[in-house]
Order: sequence, then C-alpha cells, then structure tokens
Amino acid sequence: MSDQLELYGKRFDSRLLVGTALYPSPAVMRESVRESGAEIITLSLRRQGPEQQQGKMLWDYIRESGCRLLPNTAGCKTPREAVALAEMSREIFHTDWLKLEVVGDDYNLQPDPYGLVEAARELVKRGFRVLPYCTDDLLVCRRLLDVGCEVLMPWGAPIGTGLGLLNKYNLRTLRERLPDIPLIVDAGIGAPSQAAEAMEMGYDAVLLNTAIAKAQDPVQMARAFRLAIESGRCAFAAGLMLQRQTASPSTPTLDMPFWQQADRVPQE
Amino acid sequence: MGRLLAWRLVRRGLDISLFEAGDLSSPSGACWTAAGMISPLSELVHSQRQIYDLGVQSLALWVEWAGELEALSGRSVAFRSAGSLLVAHGRDRTELQQFQRELQAKLGDSADEHLRQLDRTGLRQLEPALENFEQGLFLSREGDIDNRRLLPVLLDVLREQDVQFHQRTPVVCRDHAIEHRGGQQLFDCVIDCRGLGAARDIDGLRGVRGEVLVVETDEVPLQRPVRLLHPRYQLYAVPRGDNRTVIGATEIESEDRSPISVRSTMELCSALYSLHPAFAEARIVETRVNCRPATMDNLPYVYSEPGLVRVNGLYRHGYLLAPALALKVEKQIMEQFLQVA
Repeated sequence: MSDQLELYGKRFDSRLLVGTALYPSPAVMRESVRESGAEIITLSLRRQGPEQQQGKMLWDYIRESGCRLLPNTAGCKTPREAVALAEMSREIFHTDWLKLEVVGDDYNLQPDPYGLVEAARELVKRGFRVLPYCTDDLLVCRRLLDVGCEVLMPWGAPIGTGLGLLNKYNLRTLRERLPDIPLIVDAGIGAPSQAAEAMEMGYDAVLLNTAIAKAQDPVQMARAFRLAIESGRCAFAAGLMLQRQTASPSTPTLDMPFWQQADRVPQE
Repeated sequence: MGRLLAWRLVRRGLDISLFEAGDLSSPSGACWTAAGMISPLSELVHSQRQIYDLGVQSLALWVEWAGELEALSGRSVAFRSAGSLLVAHGRDRTELQQFQRELQAKLGDSADEHLRQLDRTGLRQLEPALENFEQGLFLSREGDIDNRRLLPVLLDVLREQDVQFHQRTPVVCRDHAIEHRGGQQLFDCVIDCRGLGAARDIDGLRGVRGEVLVVETDEVPLQRPVRLLHPRYQLYAVPRGDNRTVIGATEIESEDRSPISVRSTMELCSALYSLHPAFAEARIVETRVNCRPATMDNLPYVYSEPGLVRVNGLYRHGYLLAPALALKVEKQIMEQFLQVA
C-alpha cells in the first residue's frame, strides 16, 4: 500500500483511531472497533486501580481485538501524575506508545499546554513514543516537537462536544507550517462529515470516541466514520478544486451568445 | 436474586437451602449496595430492548410481590411506583433532548406515551424542592424499592418457611452439588446466583465498580427518584425514609472494591449540590462500594442444565430484572422437577 499512515516508524492502512469508552457494552465496543477498521485503539486506566490490575478482564478483552493499544493518561492533571500512569501503562500493556493528556480545565477538559510540554519532555527521555493531545496553537505544537514528540494530536473541539473543527484557521496553519509531521485531529468530532473535512485539509488521521460510542447504533456509525475518513483522504490525495465565485458550465452552451450567458451567472 | 428465587420456590413446596458468602444481615452482593431503582425507560437509553422488556415485566411483578411480602411479614418493603424525574441544567438542555431522541429511536412513536415534558411550573408541582430547574422529563411508569428493607423481609419470610441458612459460607456450584469448606452437599438442583463469585465458571463475567453515598437532610424532600443528566457525570438521588437519600453511582471498569475515592466523592457531591444547594449541609452517613457482575454484552446470563441453573450478569439492573428472571428460572426448575416426577 502506498498511502499508509506512518507513526513512529510503524505503518497503518487505517487513518481512524478510536477510543474504547462509553459504549453500551464491551461487546458493542469490540464490534464497532472492527467495523471502524481502526488499527490503533486508545484506552484509559486512570480510575481503574491499575496498580492491582483491577480492570484486567476488560483490558484482555480489548487486547483480543488485535489492534495496537494506545494507553492514555486521561484524567491526569499534572505532569507527575501523567508520568506515573504512563510508566504503569507501559508495564501493563508492554508498549511505549502513549496518548498523553494533561488536563488543564475541568469543565471543557482543555489540555494544559505547559504541563503537557513538561510531561512530554520527561516521557520522551524515558523512552516513550508520545502522541500528545494538544490545543491547535502552533507554538505549543512546536514546543512539543522540540521536546521530542514526532506526532501531534490537536483538538478539533473540546472532548465529547461533537462541535467539529472549531478553529479551521489554526488547524490549516498547523498543516501548512508543519507539513512533514503526522497530524491527527483528536477530540470534538461529532459527525463523519467533520472527520472528512479534517482529512480533506490534509490531516493524517482522526481519533474519536464519543461520536461512535454514543450513537444510537455505534456499529453503523463506526462504518460511517471509516467511509468518511477514506473518502476525505481520497479527496485530499486527488486534489480538491479551488472554490470560485462564478459558475462555469462544464459543457459550453454554443447556441447562446456570451453576453447572455453572463446574465445567467448565479449571484452568490 | 438468590433470596427472591428461594422465596418463589419455597412457595412451590420445594425444600430450600440458602448459602450466603457474607453475613445474612449484610450480604456481600451488589443487591445490598444498590439504590433499588426499577427504571425500564431510563435504562433503555443505555441498553438493549431486552432489558426494557424484562424491566416492564418486573415492574408489574414487583407490584404484586411487594404486596405479598408485606402481607406475609407485616412489614413494609417501601415499594413505590411514583415514577421518576429527569432534570438537566439550562446549559445541558441537550441531554434531555438526546434522551428523548434515544427513547424515540428505541420505542418508536409510543415513546411519547411514556414521558411527559415538564416546564418550570410542572416540575414544581411534582417536586417542589427542585427550584433550580427550568425543564425536566417525567417518566410515570417507573418505580423503586428499598432494598435495605426488602432483603431483611425476604429473610424473615424464608425463616418462617424453614429454609436452611448457611451464612459466611463461600461455595462452588456444581450440578447437583455444592462444595464448601465443610465438604460437599448434594441437592436435586443447585441455583448459582453468586454474582462475581461465579467468575471462574462464566466466561467473560467482569466486575464494574460502583460507588454510592447516603446523605441525610430534611431540607430537600423529594418524592421519587431524580436523575440529573450531565454530559460527563450522571447522578441519581433516591429518597428513602428518615430523611435519607441514596446518591449514585459511579461506573468504573474495575473490580476494585476498596473504599470510595476522593474524586468520585467530589463528583457525586458536586452533582448533588447542583441538584439543590441545601444538600451542602446534608450529612454523609454512609458510603458504599461494590462491583456489579456483568457479561461482555451487559445482558443477563441464564444457563440451565439438569441439576444446575446459573443466573448472573444483572449488571446495573438488579432490581429491574430480578423478578422477571426469577419467574423464568422458577418455571425452568418446576419443569425439571415435573420431568423427573
């Protein structure tokens, strides 16, 4: 396959990463993951008593999906907490891949950019492959690259809101200014069309959870997102036409003088 | 589940022995921890239609069975069919709309028969204490039962019927046999309702941690269970006698039974405070933690072979499903005995 997603030297056919929380049941979660075609799934263990492996039953069930696991540090508010949880995740799941979350605001779960950079620096030193969940600020993204992150995951909108791509200017800026860095829109996606839009912008992948898990039929919604992301990626690869102010008929109307054709131009 | 089944079967003339891993006065299962809601509609949005159908059947059975148990024991089990109320703060109004949408998707046009939209005035008429809310949904066909009254009543009724009790006796359930510290005992049929105690015998049975608070105040008199909808925190408040309200519940994918965490306490308490500020001066009189036994599809598990029946995986639907499942198992067992006879 020529158009694969490459993250930390690993290649993937799917450009959709999904979360494992909030589903009606673990069985529906696994079926949805399968239908989404995702090869990377993220899971949280902050509240599950990771020291005693109290969530093992479900973790094993998730592991059976065969996907690469991307443990996350959801719920951590300080770099110290995030680093401690990351170490535990590495031990439990035998992976140094980590979705780094350091939450700065409880209401909208906004990433704390300062804590994030500090935690990322420490985790990279400890050999982790860090995928940071960050805001769409160019300078924060640069600092994260400076400390050794090779992938960035800016938000589309706050987690679980389904508001889509709130700041398209910032997201476009990131894509333009960081052309060689794998960029994944993480969080805030509510509809497949929004995911397709991120892909059309040239984003490398999309990570989402709530929009699938909370759909009335999660399995079908997983399929909808898979198709949208494939479609968006295809459109990006094919090269979108530029938008124009004036309509141009694809077949010239030879029987009509050009000055009359001009009268028929629709006004925007 | 075990006590309810024992009662149903003893009524049919069977000799019953009941084994309890913990104390009979405070069983170790989630039945003692739960808030006792019987909410087929509220639960439908999180679960499959099957749960709703069994729940509707159970609600009708509770009406009958609660009356029967009260008549037998002369004590109340505090079964209430006053419906339940869903509220959300203004900025979380979408949650109420989402709830309605999901109910409509699952029940079709009949969904509207089951719920009534309330404005500020309607809400105040139903629950005068809820002054901070502008809208809500009333689900009239829901109920609740006070498990802390029901379980002792069941125990007394069973005692009257000469049921043999074995408390603090963890067991292994085999066909026709119970194994415990004291050895093996043989029976015509064994019914395994051990919840997570049966984890080794049921593939994919897992525990889902739940944390519950009980608070006491006379400042917020509620008439029925109230659920507060919020994008992240779900809270229910179930009023009990003695000015007590049961508040719950967290849902964490973990088999950890250690005491309630600070974070969960804060989440439950701040949601409670947002329900009514007078809860700020309520006293936290009890915290409860337990694990709900659940299958990977979160549906109940009923297994039957000659001499052994297993009932498990009631998850967050213990009181919602128990009577319907008990009736099903009662029929199965009686058929087994009839065949043998």
